[in-house]
Order: sequence, then structure tokens, then C-alpha cells
Amino acid sequence: MSNVANASTVTTVAAPKPQLVIDKVFKRFGDGPGAVVAVDQVSFDVRPGEFVAVIGPSGCGKSTLFNIIGGLLDDYSGDVLCEGDRVAGPHPAIGMVFQEESTFPWRNVLDNVAFPLELRGVGKAERLERAHHFIDLVGLGGFEKRMPSELSGGMRQRVSIARTLVSQPHILLMDEPFAALDEQTRLLLGDKITQIQQDLKQTTLLITHNLTEAVQLSDRIVVMTYRPGRVKRTVSIDLPRPRTSDVVSSAAFGKYVAEIWADLREEASRGMADAEGRTRGAAPRG
Amino acid sequence: MAATKPVGARAPLATTSWGRTGRVSARSTNVIRVCFVLGAAIIWESLSRSGLLFRDVVPSLVAIVASMGKLLVNPAFYANLQVTAWEVAASLAIGGVAGIVVGIVLGSNKFLARAYEPYVYYLAPTPRIIFFPVMIMWFGVGIASKIALGALSCFFTIALSTAAGMRGIDKVLIRVGRTFRATPWQMATKIYLPAMSAPVLNGVRLGFGTAVITALLAETKLSNQGLGFMVMQIYARFDMPTLYGLLAIVFLIAGLGNLLLGKIAGGART
Amino acid sequence: MARAASPLMTRGLPIAVGAASVIGVFGLLEALLRLGVVNRYIVPLPSDVLLSLERIIVEENVLARMRETAYEVVMSGLFTILVGVPIGAALYRWRPLRRALEDWVAALAAAPLVLAFPLFLVMFGRSSTTVIVMSVITGLAPMILKTTEGFVATRPVLINVGKSLKMTDSQMFWKILFPSALPLIFTGIRLSWTFVLISVVGIEFLINLGGLGQLINDLAERYDLPGTYAAICFVILVSVVFFVALERLETWLQPSR
Repeated sequence: MSNVANASTVTTVAAPKPQLVIDKVFKRFGDGPGAVVAVDQVSFDVRPGEFVAVIGPSGCGKSTLFNIIGGLLDDYSGDVLCEGDRVAGPHPAIGMVFQEESTFPWRNVLDNVAFPLELRGVGKAERLERAHHFIDLVGLGGFEKRMPSELSGGMRQRVSIARTLVSQPHILLMDEPFAALDEQTRLLLGDKITQIQQDLKQTTLLITHNLTEAVQLSDRIVVMTYRPGRVKRTVSIDLPRPRTSDVVSSAAFGKYVAEIWADLREEASRGMADAEGRTRGAAPRG
Repeated sequence: MAATKPVGARAPLATTSWGRTGRVSARSTNVIRVCFVLGAAIIWESLSRSGLLFRDVVPSLVAIVASMGKLLVNPAFYANLQVTAWEVAASLAIGGVAGIVVGIVLGSNKFLARAYEPYVYYLAPTPRIIFFPVMIMWFGVGIASKIALGALSCFFTIALSTAAGMRGIDKVLIRVGRTFRATPWQMATKIYLPAMSAPVLNGVRLGFGTAVITALLAETKLSNQGLGFMVMQIYARFDMPTLYGLLAIVFLIAGLGNLLLGKIAGGART
Repeated sequence: MARAASPLMTRGLPIAVGAASVIGVFGLLEALLRLGVVNRYIVPLPSDVLLSLERIIVEENVLARMRETAYEVVMSGLFTILVGVPIGAALYRWRPLRRALEDWVAALAAAPLVLAFPLFLVMFGRSSTTVIVMSVITGLAPMILKTTEGFVATRPVLINVGKSLKMTDSQMFWKILFPSALPLIFTGIRLSWTFVLISVVGIEFLINLGGLGQLINDLAERYDLPGTYAAICFVILVSVVFFVALERLETWLQPSR
């Protein structure tokens, strides 16, 4: 267990200036009595090279937060600071991976991954070479000429991740990238992500509702409350790195999961009660 | 972190104006419609007054509206309308019944569908008007040949959509009927009919469109009555305002008929 | 029917039965005509029609007529695409415009527009131009509607990918929206070209001009019974082949997805 101690000292010693700062971010949808506060005074930060997960039950405003940080929702109050710039519109330093399947069905794997470079006018030889590199990185070497329709869901999501990584974003922002996948694929893809993150020293912010996934991958976890979405608490995960999916069977892992679940359960049951209440409130009509 | 420099603060969302999802108010929709109609009318009228084209080709809107007024008080218009309406109704009745029967047969029997549906499917999008000479030989130059041609035209559409509607019935509904030991008659009236009425009526609506076109075109080719015949009469006189006026009225009537059948089909869906 | 049958039984047999019954019907007709049950002056012998097929192809200049009809179809079809796709894109681009006008375009698709052909006769005389203009108008509405539908069907997440990559308007259009709408645009092309063929042949027949439509008119006016029937069969055959070709082309052009 000396590894654990080692890893924790590393993270505590190296506390450089945050790369991404979320500062009192607030977002409300609608006006008047029907208004819903999706995100309420959320603050946390992500340091260079760090892997942070935001976890919370459905309806905690995770996706809203993702859209705000990604610059897809630009009327919010508070500040999202990416390397010192207030985010208003997609920031070039942030690369996004979406929850839904987002490969272009009319492009093969290679052209999908090379797409951002094509937009930037990178020459053909160079962009194909760089695309190849990231395709290998996500473990899809040999599938370059395949169309997305010929790939499994997990492979397609890896194509999306490679497409985001190819433009070498300073911060990788992912919204439940594995939500549509089965548990085994999810664990194995988690390994891939951990490995990539370690190889590239990639600063990553993952939005998720999956507890094991969050503990498996993160250095720190931000737990959100159910509506309005606030930060309930932040947990540092001092599990050894390099990590693999084997970590899920360790005692330390179980301890973290149990600890965070205690917080999360309260929020999730509040969400469930709320949903049931709304269903009852809507009187059945004939 | 007070020192904030908004990066591309306006630019990003402003440049990507595709895929917006905001609401469009009913008022702005109506404003656009009014502007569109007014704009078209102004362009038309100025084109007409400019004399750039022959005055006959683009007659003044005033003249067109006046001619529509005259048509609407002209007994000959109503006589011709009646003939065409009768032709369309008769062809829709004949073609419709034949189409629904054939559609039900094809829709309920896989073997027969595989054997004969390709013929219906591939003959559906062919020009029907060319059968007109044959129809004249068989049924004479009167309205019978137009009815026959109209029936032939709408048959295919109605048969295909009935067959598709029959196959589209949720299999669970049929199983439910079976488990309740419904008689064949009960199956037909309580399950098949309600579940199929929407696609069948939609087929009838489409068939109505083809029957109208076919009857009118046949009348323009060879007849001595009907709205198509009237169009050719007016054309022969080179009376452009009246030609525009009559066409507008015919499109309007056909549109209303289509709308009405669409409403019936839509009502059947819920 | 046959439950545990081989593919040949489930696929081949019905097709054979279908073809056999078509041949059977013509055979029966032939017999009835030869027996004098059906009037030979109204319905010609199917065998005569079959024989006339060769005659009209050789004697009636069918190749030249087909070329003329093909020219009109291709011209009208190209114009439908050139005009319809931009209008469809514009209706997608400006949502209020779509809300206001989409129903009207749909109404236009259902209106008996071909009846307006005498108008164009006045403008352009009995010429190919009349046929083409009328056919473009006939084929336009489905082209516009399917194009708009294609753009609307673009998955929002792909648009978000574009936004996150800070794509410009034109990049967004050419690299995401247009390729995504393409399959339905192809469907629109198939539908509108089908309408165009029907309209071209129909107007040729009605105004007695040019290609295949006129062939039928000519033979009918000469009271060449087997010839008329043969010409009709020939035109139907051509349009079925055209229709099948369009369908094949549509599936072949679909990017694999």
C-alpha cells in the first residue's frame, strides 16, 4: 500500500495553478413560478493533468454544466475560466466528447478522426499521420477504412474520443461518454481512458452518473446535489496510478464507492421522490 | 479570478446560426405569409404593368380577380364543375373499392403479396394518361372513359397504402383479439378496421389527387364538358385572365378536397 | 402458406406464380379474342401487340423519340434539383419561413398543377420548353419537402460537435448539415424525377409533341390498334425501368451507414 501514500503525496505536493475554474456558476431555465434552477452557485477547479469527475443523480444539472463549460450555453452567471479566459462560446482549449453517438456516418474512421484538422487546413499528409496516431492510441488501428455503421457502439465512442483528442485540447470535457455501453465495455474503455490520460498528461473533466466509473478514473470527484444542482462535497481519490480496471476489486475502491454512495443515495432518492410526486400531481385525464 | 478576458465572447454562437431551436410565434408566421403573398402580388402586378412581357402572359391581378368573379356567376362553370366532380367521385368510388379489396388481399396474404404486389408497386408510378386512347376505344368519348381512367389511376395508390396499412397493424393487437376469441367479423370490425382506417383514408386522399389530375387532363384531351374542357375552351380564345382565374379556382377546390380528406384521415388516427 | 419452406419456395414460387398468371391472363385473352368472345376491334390480339412492338421500334423512330423524352426528363430533373434543393435548404435555415410556407409547399404538391399546361403553351408555344417548365413545376414540391426534411433530421449532437469545433456557417453547412441531409435529398430526387417522367410523357401526349407521349397519340389517331397497345406497353416498360433504375441509384448512392 506504499503506492497509495506515494500517489497522494504527489497530488498534494504538486498543486499548480488551476487550468479550469468554475466559479459560482448559476443557471436558471424559464421565469416565474415554472422556473427551474439547474445549476446553483457551483464552484470547483481542475488542475493541469488532473482527472476530475462530476457525479450526481439525473436532474442535478450535470448536462447543463457540461454545456456551459463547453460554451454551448452562453447566458449563465458566474464565471467559467479556461486558462484565465471567461468561457462564452466554445473555447479552443476545450475538446468535447458527447454522450450521444456523434461520429459522422458518412465518413470512415480515418476521416472522422482527421476532421478537426481538416477544418484547420492542416495538410493532408500531416493530418492523416496525426489521425493514425490517435486511432492507434484509442486502440482502433486497422479499422481506419471502416465506416461507423460497421463498428460497435464502444468502438464508435472511441472514434469520437480520438476525434476530440486529435486537436490536442488542453482540457478534455466528456459528458457520460460510456452511458450507452454495457458494463464490461465500460470498464475496458475506462482502462483505455486512464492509459491515454496518463500518456498525454491530459487534463480531463468527466460528467457522469456512474459511481464505479467515476472512482475508477478520477483523481477527484465532485458530488452534486439533486435540483438545484449544488456541490455537495469533493472527494479526493487516492488510488494508485497507473491504474487499471482491476482496481475495482480492491478494498480501497469499495470504501470510496460506499462513501460516495452514501451521499449520492440521499440525492438520488430525493430525485425519485420528486419524479413520483410530479407523476401523481399530474392528474390522469380521460 | 477577476481579470477575465472574454474569449470570442460574441463570435461562436453568432457564427453558428444553424440548428436553432427557439420558438417561432404564430404571429411572425402570419406576418411572413402576408408579406409573401403581398410581395408576390406586387412583383406580379409590376411585371404586368411594366409591359416587359406580353400583357397577355401576365395579366393584371385586377383582371384576374374580375374574371374569377365572372366565372363564379357563370352557370356554365357550375355545369362543368358538376361533370368533373361526378367523374372524380365515380372514379374514386370504383378505384377506391377495387384498391381497398386488392390491398386487403395483398396485405393479409404473404404469398399473394409476393406474387402480385410487385406489379402494383411498379405500375403505380407510370404515366396513366397514356391509357386514355384505350379507354376511349372501350368506353367512348363521354364521361365513362374519364371515370375509367380516373379509377385506373387511383387504384394503385389506394391498393398499396391499404396493403401497407394492413401489414402495419401491431401484431399484438391481433393476438389480443385472438386470445379473447373474437369471431372473424369481430376481428374485422373491432381490430382491423379501426387500426387500418388512417392509412386507408390517407391512400384515398392521395388517390383523390391522382383521380382529379387524370380526369382534368383527359378532359383537356378529348371531351365536350368538364373543367378541363373549359380550360381548353378559354385557352382557344387566348383569354388569359380567365385562364388564370379558372386555374386558381380549380387548384383551390382540389386543395380544399385534399384538406378535407386529410382532416378525415387525421381524425381517424386518434 | 408453406411454413418450413426453402428460400426458393418462399421467394421463387410466388414470383413464378405471379409471372405465370400474367402470362395466363394474356393467353386467356388471346383465346377469347380468337374465339370471338371479345371484340377484336377494341382489343387486339396480345400476339399482334407483341409483333407490333418490333414494328413500332423500327418504323416509328423510337430511339430518336426516347432521346427527346430523355432530354426533357433530364433537363427538368436537373432544374428541379437546382431550384428545389436551395429552396429546401432555405426553408430549413430560416425556421419562421419554414413554419409559414412548408404547408403551402405541401399543398402545392397535392394540387393538379399539370392542368396549367395551356398557360405555358401560350408563353412558349408547342415546344420542349413548355414540357420542361411544366415538369419542373410538377417535380419541385417533393424535392423541396424532402430536402427540408433531410436537414431537419440532422442529429442535434452533430450540430453540437460542429459548434464545439467552432465551425463557420459554411463549414457547418457543407461538412455536417449537407452530408447528413443527403440520403433524404436522394429520396427527394427519386420522387421528383418520377413525377417529372410522368409529367413529360403526359404533356407530350396531350400537346402531341416530340417523344414517347406523342408516339401513342400518333398511333391512336391512325387507329393502329396493335400499334397503340404496343406503344403503351413500351412506354410503361420504359417508365418501370426508369423507376427501378432510380431506386437502385438511390440505394447505391447512399453512403453506407
